[in-house]
Amino acid sequence: MSVVEIKNLSFVYSKKTPYETRALDDVSLTIEEGEFVGIVGATGSGKSTLIQHLNGLIRIQDKKRSSITINGMSLSDKKYLKKVRFDVGMVFQYPEYQLFEDTVAKDIAFGPKNMKLSKEEVDERVKRAMEVVGLDYATFAERSPFDLSGGEKRRAAIAGVIAMQPQVLILDEPVAGLDPVGREEILTLVQKLRREVSKTVLMVSHNMDDIARLATRIIVLKDGRVVADGTPKEVFISGKIEETGLELPLAARIAKNLKARGFDIGDAITPDELVAGVRRAMEAKHV
Amino acid sequence: MDGRGVLCYNPLMPIIEVKNVSYSYPLRDGVRLKAIKNLSLSIEEGEYVALVGMNGSGKSTLAKLLNGLFEPASGDILIDGINTKDEKQIFEIRKRVGMVFQNPDNQTVATIIEDDVAFGPENIGVAREEIVERVDEALRLVNMSEYRARTASKLSGGQKQRVAIAGVLAMRPKIIIFDESTSMLDPIGRKEVMQVAKTLNESGITVINITHNMEETAEATRVIALRHGRLALDGTPKEVFASSILEDCGLKLPPARQIATELKAFGLDAEDVIDEKGLEEGICRLLK
Repeated sequence: MSVVEIKNLSFVYSKKTPYETRALDDVSLTIEEGEFVGIVGATGSGKSTLIQHLNGLIRIQDKKRSSITINGMSLSDKKYLKKVRFDVGMVFQYPEYQLFEDTVAKDIAFGPKNMKLSKEEVDERVKRAMEVVGLDYATFAERSPFDLSGGEKRRAAIAGVIAMQPQVLILDEPVAGLDPVGREEILTLVQKLRREVSKTVLMVSHNMDDIARLATRIIVLKDGRVVADGTPKEVFISGKIEETGLELPLAARIAKNLKARGFDIGDAITPDELVAGVRRAMEAKHV
Repeated sequence: MDGRGVLCYNPLMPIIEVKNVSYSYPLRDGVRLKAIKNLSLSIEEGEYVALVGMNGSGKSTLAKLLNGLFEPASGDILIDGINTKDEKQIFEIRKRVGMVFQNPDNQTVATIIEDDVAFGPENIGVAREEIVERVDEALRLVNMSEYRARTASKLSGGQKQRVAIAGVLAMRPKIIIFDESTSMLDPIGRKEVMQVAKTLNESGITVINITHNMEETAEATRVIALRHGRLALDGTPKEVFASSILEDCGLKLPPARQIATELKAFGLDAEDVIDEKGLEEGICRLLK
């Protein structure tokens, strides 16, 4: 059984008004446990609409035609809605804007409390979540979330989601607005979360370098449709990315330009692959 | 290449002078957060500056001090010779220093694009014929003339930011500050906005780009890094990337330079590489 199963999902905003916009157009896909899916597409391609469907924040418009199941639970069925929201954790863009409690620990406890867990279990989850995101409990638990630094706030916000121990973690541009060192910390954290908390991760990002390095699979959206779906290598080498108005990762752009100039170093989509390709070409030159 | 002062029209007076400026925000119960500490720097007309540093280092505070949204607690800021503390001159400051913010959806006031661009000059009482002229010119400079009669809500992120830039241009500013204006855009939108910034700089406008993106940083002629409200680094991209305190400022080398560093063992001159083009040329030289 697939963790996520989407069938014929369409969605129209402002239906029957002059502003009617088709955000999703007959999207079908399945996601298996353990995948790290990068979701890419230009602004307005339907990425946010798609992910907001996955935990029921946007309800399915045409229940006759479209369906979404999470671990076999149909989202058309209201009785599963709450359960699905605990199983699918959503980290929104700039999640620190959603911090609201007067202490970090209370803020992180909000989700687990809603799950009606015992007080001990809630406390345990808060401690564990803070430990995973690297916020020392003794130092941060009783502090106001609003006194934290930018990177700390974001980690606190992520802790609030993973305290629910979701099976599927969805992150919408998790490093937007962070300084380069903070970015790297959060991306390292995302990999750690995949190992330790949520096996299946979906990440929306405009940064193709990050996607090339982290994702096991890429889904490309354009005008509400899936136009490419495969491993990073398949998708980036297929030429589909340029057609959607996005750009290739840096390593792939350079490899492509080198090839055009008569230096074939093979396919490369990550810095490591580019370096390896150059090494091979250098060695071949000396043979 | 050090681009500082190359386009300077009046070598006697920098367009921006920051002299021993401090500024703090009230937190609670009389506690204040010192955001800018005794900062001094000057920027010449026509420079293209990347203003960088970790979250909370004081970049946006400095931007707001530069166009008079905040007043220094101590020290002075002169814009084109005018002190930002002089309340009677505040509109002169605002006219000279335009700002483009982060979120493309928060910067439009009118439904129709040309009305939105006209908002600034209308507010300062510019004559109708001149407003039309300014709006035409501004939309042309950002390459959005054909959209003038359309509604802003239907545009892409990059297009919305270009309209926001046009709104700033209609005020005929001498300085434009981009405060993380590309951080919410897709790669194409980012390129569009950076291209416009470059064109405007070439026409003589002083550009300050506040950014976390190290590729954008490499495009500037001068990089100023703040750390804890103080000046930490100031130099050409090449000089700043060579600094040992780069990571202490929350910064990393641009991706192309990181790859170049990996290729150093093969004889690539990594210190010369600041961007993608440089890396490609460096690899070509290796493989020839």
